[in-house]
Order: sequence, then structure tokens, then C-alpha cells
Amino acid sequence: MKKTQVKLQAIQGNHSSALAAIDAGCRFYAGYPITPSSEVAEKMSSLLPDVDGVFIQMEDEIASMGAILGASLGGKKVMTATSGPGFSLKQEHIGFAAGAEIPCVIINVMRGGPSTGMPTRPSQGDVMQARWGTHGDHPVIVLAPDSVAEIYQQTLRAFNLAEQLRVPVVVLFDEVLGHLVESITIPEADTFERVERKWASGPEAEFQPYRDSGNGVPEMAMPGSGYRVHTTGLTHAEHGFPTQDPEIVERVTERLFNKISANYSLVESYEAEQCEKADVVIVAYGITARATRRALRKAREKGIGAGLFRPVTLWPFPQERFIEEVNPDAQILVPEMNRGQLSTEIERIAGRERVTSLPRFDGEPISPQQILEKIVEITAHG
Amino acid sequence: MVETGKTTQEFEIRDYLRTELMPHFMCPGCGHGIALRALLWAIHDLGIAKDNLAVVSGIGCSGRTAAYIDANTIHTTHGRPLSFATGLKLARPDLHVVVITGDGDSLAIGGNHLIHACRRNLDITCVLLNNEVYGMTGGQVSPTTSAGRYTTTTPAGNHEPVFDACELATAAGASFVGREITMHVTALRDLFVQGLKHSGFSFIEVISDCTEIYGRKNELGNSPEMVMSHKADIRPESYGNVVDEPFRPTDLNVGVLSQTDRPEYYTAYRQHFGKQVEGNDDPKKGGAVT
Amino acid sequence: MTRQGVIAPVEMANTAPTNVLVVGVGGQGVIMISKAVARLCQENGLEVKQSEVHGMAKRGGSVFSHIRFGQEVKSPLIPQGEADILLAMEWAEGLRWLPYLNPERGIFIADTQRIVPPFSCRDRNRGAESGYINTSVQELVEKVPNAFAMDATSVATELGNARAANTVLLGALSTALEFSQEEWHRVIAEAVPPKTVGVNKEAFVKGRHWVESGETATDFSSDNVISLKEPRESRLEITQAWCKGCDICVKMCPERCLQLDQHQIVQLIDEKRCTGCRLCEWLCPDFAISVEAK
Repeated sequence: MKKTQVKLQAIQGNHSSALAAIDAGCRFYAGYPITPSSEVAEKMSSLLPDVDGVFIQMEDEIASMGAILGASLGGKKVMTATSGPGFSLKQEHIGFAAGAEIPCVIINVMRGGPSTGMPTRPSQGDVMQARWGTHGDHPVIVLAPDSVAEIYQQTLRAFNLAEQLRVPVVVLFDEVLGHLVESITIPEADTFERVERKWASGPEAEFQPYRDSGNGVPEMAMPGSGYRVHTTGLTHAEHGFPTQDPEIVERVTERLFNKISANYSLVESYEAEQCEKADVVIVAYGITARATRRALRKAREKGIGAGLFRPVTLWPFPQERFIEEVNPDAQILVPEMNRGQLSTEIERIAGRERVTSLPRFDGEPISPQQILEKIVEITAHG
Repeated sequence: MVETGKTTQEFEIRDYLRTELMPHFMCPGCGHGIALRALLWAIHDLGIAKDNLAVVSGIGCSGRTAAYIDANTIHTTHGRPLSFATGLKLARPDLHVVVITGDGDSLAIGGNHLIHACRRNLDITCVLLNNEVYGMTGGQVSPTTSAGRYTTTTPAGNHEPVFDACELATAAGASFVGREITMHVTALRDLFVQGLKHSGFSFIEVISDCTEIYGRKNELGNSPEMVMSHKADIRPESYGNVVDEPFRPTDLNVGVLSQTDRPEYYTAYRQHFGKQVEGNDDPKKGGAVT
Repeated sequence: MTRQGVIAPVEMANTAPTNVLVVGVGGQGVIMISKAVARLCQENGLEVKQSEVHGMAKRGGSVFSHIRFGQEVKSPLIPQGEADILLAMEWAEGLRWLPYLNPERGIFIADTQRIVPPFSCRDRNRGAESGYINTSVQELVEKVPNAFAMDATSVATELGNARAANTVLLGALSTALEFSQEEWHRVIAEAVPPKTVGVNKEAFVKGRHWVESGETATDFSSDNVISLKEPRESRLEITQAWCKGCDICVKMCPERCLQLDQHQIVQLIDEKRCTGCRLCEWLCPDFAISVEAK
């Protein structure tokens, strides 16, 4: 991303995602009011009409997800935003988007759960739901920014990934980040990359809407362009029509995952800070990463060799980079605002004996002090 | 509203079918096939190009019909085709968007989407294939299953009251509401023509048949008898309150049941934001929202 | 009886009653005309008996009215062969009642308007002969001595009201009875709806002048042609692989020319009976039948 020209703005995290969406070329937004993400919809409702886009508040969360998929099939870049309970309702259509390979961006501003939970309190409780919320094996990309500026960047990137890989992309942050106001630099239009969807080409009669076009991603048919295709949530073969042929089912399902792994260099993003020689590495994401940075400074002042591994791409987790970057003998601490959802993934990669979970699920953000205490505790044992 | 091309060619259904998928997977005597013919016939008569036609369907037997249409077809989730259609039509007002749904699809799980689609009055044609039962899942009771009828989940006969889909759509604000039976193929075609031409949300209920499951379980006769039986069910409004109970046990009204010219959603949306109306919408239709 | 374009008046002073038979189909004004004639006779001191059969008036059914007047009238009905005047407002109705006309001196006045009832189509095949009588105006004029066949409907249509055809015919009839035009105008004005008095009076004069000017026959008007469509050959194609044997086409076929074979697949058993009505094609849920009509 070239930032040759910039403008400085103090904006809220939720608004930041809306501005990024417009800049990415999003021209259709459907949503439903829910705390703490409603500001995304509010901002989109005022921005979209000026760029010849359409904003619509639908009758429910499911419908708003359905509407953006319909608009995406019509050729638009699309987005919706929600929070826990709404994210649960949207899962049906997130699955449809994953299976039928419809580009879309979903902002999930996490709040306390389960169920209605704590609408105005922050949480990171949707980490696993973002990955496995809808039924069946399916690919999904989840990005977890940790600042208002990064919300802008990652939302922009979410659109590019969605369009390029034909996959639903979730931008996951929490209530604190959503309502946080920070000064950010917004790049002038045309100074950043906007990826466009690859549209169907070649003879119409031979076109197969789910045939791998080279990088694992099929070309998409624009309605009205002569390619009349069938889109279905049923498991479908390359020609787009339902199939239950085991060989085909395995092949097409495998491709759904391969298109992400084959293009993982585009997808992966993380931050590793002094991980190679650290005695303890903190794996943190979102708002928790910001508390971690302060804790790290304090720990280093105490002479503890502490590092930070911050996955920005939460799913699929940048596993290879983690193994490369992190000292294999280091203890690992995973502070997160849930009962240890990501830490199970880290245990899987690093081994249970190395990983300590620092969960907090009382509706309060984890404080630097809390993390620092845990770092001290772990290193003392070590 | 549909901008129609001129067509003088005789209707040949194969021109509108994905023949490589035929025979379709509906049961013998299923009314959905007849309804599909009438729909494609109307599309032909209006000269709508297949490239500019999008058919969005839900889940169930009705949902499966879309795949056989040689157009841009989207077979969506249970009850939610109208939500996809809403997004698609707003994104692409140049497309003619037709939704095919069923009684379970749009009156039970998708009831919320239906009433709000009616309320918004976006230019979509919604076809409800009503066969009074969940056929695909083996014959469970639906919101339109007639009183006393047996289904796999009403072993003692249906005790629940039914929805009148057309009254529901009218009350929710659909600006064009009509109903026909499959046996009136040409009348059904003409109703589709009117619905497709209408600017705004048009809702057309087709009284269809589930012969294999519902018909068999309730001893409603074989396929021809079921198709013909609806004719005896029709009691036009003009008949008034004639005492004819033994001969005409139901009061099925057919034809255009209500029509109003409320502002079409997208036209109003554009005018509200002071934009030129793009696509094929007639700016004269549907007054500005102030 | 000489016929020089003008009808020789019937002898109303005879002891035997004068018989006028007015026929037509529902809605043409048979009764209205009869009432006008009856009233005029009555006002002139004659005994009048008029009897009618109607009731199909709104459905295009046959309507007729017997009018008998004279010094003394006993029976209300005209015996066969004794009508002095047969006034027909519809062509086939006129031909149907011909046996009632006095074969020697009876006067036949008919509109050449033809109203074809649906049930004259006895055969659903295209090009099948119509059940409507095919006697031409010329044939009739040659057969009946005192025949006046006029296109009264066209005359009335030109005046702006096709429904005044009955008064055009009444005008023609008036030349056979010894009443003045003023008297006729008066009864017409009393018989017709107030708004149409003017046009009916005009129509009456047109009809009267038509006979007086020596006309006897105008052919069927060009927009009243009974055209039979070219016979067509229909070919029924069955896509066996798509047929699921639901039986709908078999039961719906009005000619019963389809049946299911032993594999429950539809087959055409009588090609000749197929009229190409396409019901089977339209009602087939599986699109397995296609009727090609040439």
C-alpha cells in the first residue's frame, strides 16, 4: 500500500471500517441494528448514496446477509456488519457464501456472550465461531485488527481477499475498538490497490462456473453477460449443478480449502516482535495485543526476554510463520477475552506443556498489569 | 416493471430449459411443472431475454424448479430467496428478478422476508407454489395444509388454522396480488404476464399439487383428479354468498386479487437521493418520496 | 301478386286475420317490434293477438313472436304456411321459420346479419364445416317469391347504433301495411328508449326507403363472413424419456387419443382424432409432449 498522499482524521473504529469499505469499492450494504456495531450501518447509510451505492436496512440479520450475497452475485462489492447474536443468525448465509464462493465482507464487533450476553461490553468470544460458526467444512478468512488505523487497512484488505479468492472474509474486532476514536491517516483514493473479481471469459458454452481457473479460484459469471449459470447451496460439481458423486464431492470440497492454502501468501499477515530469542512469547490479537505491548515493555524493564506474536490473519492461523518466528523453547502466554479459544489452537501448534492461557470473560478488557503478572509468574516457574 | 421486447415466435419451452438436466426430479403429476411452463411462457410472451432474467428460489420442491430454467438461477437457503432477490435487484435493477418459493419456504421459515418484501414494494415477481405440504422432507404439515388433512406430523389430521397467502401479501402491502390454479395454464400465464409487467412487488400464488405424498396420504385421487379438483374449488367473488355448500366447499378466488400503484422501492430510493433512475425503470411510475 | 320493388300491401280488411311472424335471437328487439306493430293495429280498431317465446333473451337464444290482427282473431298462433309476413332479424332464424310463411303470397323480410352460435361448431378440428346454414342470399331470393333480404345491421351501424337494425326492418315491413309514417313514428317513439328515438325514426325511414327504392337483396356484409380456418395437421411429439406416466394428458384429452403403455409411458393411439388443441402439452408437468401444428 503506497501512502504517498494522506489525510489525517480522528474517527471511531466502526466508522473506520465503513470508510475503508467505500474506498475499497463497496457499493452495497445491508444490515440490521445491533450494539455495538450499529455505527457501521449508520455511516454506510450516509456514505453510499453519494457514490451511487445502495444501503438497505433489512428485516433481520439473516436477510441482510442474504441481501449482500444477492448483490454480490449481481456484481457488486458488498459488506454487512453485526455483533454476536447477529453473527449467529448470519452463519447460515456465511455458509452459503463459503459453499457457493460469493465474495463478501462481514464486520463482527464482538460483545459479551453467549446469547444476548453483554451488548455494551467487549469480548473476544467469537474467535471460534468466526472460524467454525456455520455447519460443514468450509473455508473462511478472519482478520483481527488492533487499532482504528488497522481496522481501515484490514477492511480494505478484506475486500481484496474476498474478491480475489471468492470467500467470505470476517473482520473481527471488539466493542472497545469499535467505539475507540483515534487519529488515523487515510490514503488518498488511487494510492492503494483495489483488487477486482475475475469475471468469466471464453466461450459461453464451455464455461463452467466452478472450474479452477488456475490459482484454485473459479471465474465468476456476471449476470447479463451471456453466461447463464446456476448458483446453489447444494454441493455442486464444476458445472454448478448439484452432485452427490463421492469423487466429485471430495474434489470440489478440497478445492475450497486449496484455494486458500495455495494463495496463503496473500492471506497471511502477522506481527512478530522479538520472538526468536524470547523466554516467553505472548500471542495476542485485537485489543488484547495493545495491553500486551505495555506489559512487554514493563517485562523487558524487569529483564525478562519477552516477545509478541500477533496474528492479524486469525484464520487460517499463520502456523508456519509462528513455528519459524517463535523460539521453540519459549513459554507461550495467550491472553484473550474468552475462556481460551485461540490458546487451544496454539496448544495444537506448540504443544500443551508450553502454553499458558490467560482468559478473561467478565466484560472487562485484560489489563497490562494482569498480563505482566502472568509473564512474571511463568518465567519464575521456568 | 418489465421492458418487453416484441416476440412473434411461438413459445417452445425447450428454448427456456436446461434440457441436459431433464427429466426434472419432480414426482409424477407434480403441479410445479405446469406452473413452470406457464411462467416460462409468460417470460417468452414478454420477450424477456434469458440473459437478463434472474430466478431466485428457496429450499423445497419449489426451490428445485429454478435449476431447470436456462437463465441466471440462484437456489438459495430455506425461506430466504427474497432476501437474496432484494440485494440482487437493488444491485442490478436491469435484471428481471423472479422469486420461486413454496408454502413452507415463504409462509413459515421465510414469513418475515415475505411481509417485508411486500412492504418495500421492490420490483420483484414472487411466485408461491402452494401444494399445502413439505414435500421434499417427506410430507409434513405446512402453514397452508387444509384443516383435517393428514401429514406425517399431523397423524390425527391437521388442527391448525391456515394462512391465506394472498390476503397476507395484500395486507403487507404487495402492490400486485393474484392467484391461479395450474389447470388454468393460459390464465396462469396471463397472470404472470401481468405480474411481470407490474412495477413493484408482485405476488402470485399458484395452487399446485403434491400428488405423490399429500394426495396419496389424503386420498385426494390421482394426478388428473387433483389437477381438476381445484376447478371445483373456485368460487369467484362475484358469486357472493350463494348457499352452495354441498357443491363448492371452498371459496378459492382466482385472478388479480388486488393491485395498487404504490411507489416502487428502487425508483423511490433513487428519487429520494436525487439520482437519475437508471436501468429500465420508468421514472414516471412510483412517486417521489419527500 | 306483383312485385316491383314495393311490397303489395296485405289485405287488412279481409275477414281472415293478417299474420305477422317476427323472429330473431335474444337481444335483437323481437318483442319491441312486435309490441309496436300490435299497438298500432289495436289503435286502429283491429283485434290483436300476440304471443311470444322468449327467455333466452340475454344469451343469444332463439326468440319469436306471433302477431295476428284483423276484424276477428281467435287463435293466438299462426299455423304453418299461413304467415303473411315473416320478419327475421337474424339470417338463420329466418330460414328456420320459412315453413310458416305462406308459400304463395307470403312476404319474407330478413336482415342478412348472421349471428353464429358456439354450438354450431360441432367438430373441434380446424376447418371442419360449420353447423350454421350455408344458404346464400341469392339462393333464398330465388326460392322465396316475395323476399327482401337487406343488410339492416349495416344500415343501422352507419346511423350510429347497430341496435336500431330492428327498426330498419320495421321500416321495410311498414310498406306492407296501410299505416302512415307519422303513425309508425309515434309508436316507435313510445316503444324505444327515449335517448334513441331520433336514431330509430331515421332507421325506420331508411328501411322504408330501401323497399320503396326497388331494392330486394343485399349480400352478407363483408365483416359478417363466416370464415373457416384452413384445416391444419397437428403432429404430437412425445419425449418418452421425460414422461413419468402421471396420466394427466390421458384424462384431459377431449378426444381420448392418448393412453399409457405397459411401461406407463404415454403414447398416441389415434392420430386422426387429435385436433391439436394442445391441452396435453400445456398440462404435462414434465414437458414430455409437444404439439406441432402446421
